[in-house]
Amino acid sequence: MHDRPTPRELCEAAREFLGTEILPLLDDHRMKFRTIVALNALGIAERELAETEAPVEPDWELARAIRAGHPPANAVAILKEQVAAKLRVTNPPYLAKYE
Amino acid sequence: MKEALERALGAPVERAVLLAGGASKETWAVDTGGRELIVRRAAASTIHKDTLSLEQEFEVLRAAHEAGVKVPEPIAYLGELEGREAFMMERVSGETIGRRVVRNPPEGLGVELAEELAKIHSIPPERLPFLRSGDVVERFYAELDSVHEPHPAIEYGLWWVRERIGEPEELVVTHGDWRIGNLAVDERGLVSVLDWEFAHLADPREDVAWPLVRAWRFGADDRHVGGVADLEPYLERYDELTGRSIGAEELYVWEVLGNVKWATGCLTQARRHLDGHDRSVELAVLGRLAAEMEYELLDLIERAHA
Repeated sequence: MHDRPTPRELCEAAREFLGTEILPLLDDHRMKFRTIVALNALGIAERELAETEAPVEPDWELARAIRAGHPPANAVAILKEQVAAKLRVTNPPYLAKYE
Repeated sequence: MKEALERALGAPVERAVLLAGGASKETWAVDTGGRELIVRRAAASTIHKDTLSLEQEFEVLRAAHEAGVKVPEPIAYLGELEGREAFMMERVSGETIGRRVVRNPPEGLGVELAEELAKIHSIPPERLPFLRSGDVVERFYAELDSVHEPHPAIEYGLWWVRERIGEPEELVVTHGDWRIGNLAVDERGLVSVLDWEFAHLADPREDVAWPLVRAWRFGADDRHVGGVADLEPYLERYDELTGRSIGAEELYVWEVLGNVKWATGCLTQARRHLDGHDRSVELAVLGRLAAEMEYELLDLIERAHA
């Protein structure tokens, strides 16, 4: 499971930034036009990315077990793999630091 | 803003330029009466429960200045400036961008860091009676619970720390965000300690260990203290000046906790965007950055047992 923002929320944040902070600064017509196209592209991606909620219940169960003082025996290995899966999407070069 | 400042100061203002508009604070460069100053002013209407008001931050700055800490000279608390509180301090030179500081850090910066931190930790707590304290592990459990998202890796970090950290030996005035990025540095060394809004009462090891966190080494991973110095001279000088005997081994737990702190910090900052308080793409992506600190804390724990 990935952390929030969801992919849809990430597109939305980038789209809002381009629309409210960058677009008003642009005087050049070509740049303005291409920024509007980029805004539309992000809008399309946002609508297409249905809010697919990953099943989080197993993560909650694991979190609660650890809070209660009962981590699984091989917790570090399990958790490292879970976090690595997030990083392979979010920041792929990051894991190279640990090789 | 220029007119509001002139009214507040009762003096002509030659220049007032917005340098940085963070989500919670604005920084203005102000020239008046031949002096180059900074005005820090509240930005958003939202007040974050874990930071000081600007009036309190100004008091902390004054106390640090009295204690001989290298800080911008505090000039005046201005009260409300166009509806938001503000204070004025000296404008100092020096680099604050972490990536640039670690590129070519001045010789002896680690020792200088230790010297300033020792002075900060010597400020009498009764001088700043409004500073909060509290159980550090409970603080991060509360923060994590406010996120409403499962984070087993952070839970594991907190569990591991909780089993090892013990009671604080003493509570001192801490800076609360003691790291490269909040310090002005030039080619000769440390110029000034900035950004006091997270000051609180805590175990001194919380500050000592905070710059060790990998994220605050800004890519210069082989220099353990903030990407600018080795741990040994930093710790030796700090212990020498404070009479404490903090060893590298006990700091390991605090470094793990530091990763917990920045991971939860990323998650709570992202919520300010997600819940609509401060819509910002910068805050949004922090939600995904937390995974880096999760991996680092797991790796630290794994290496502790290897």
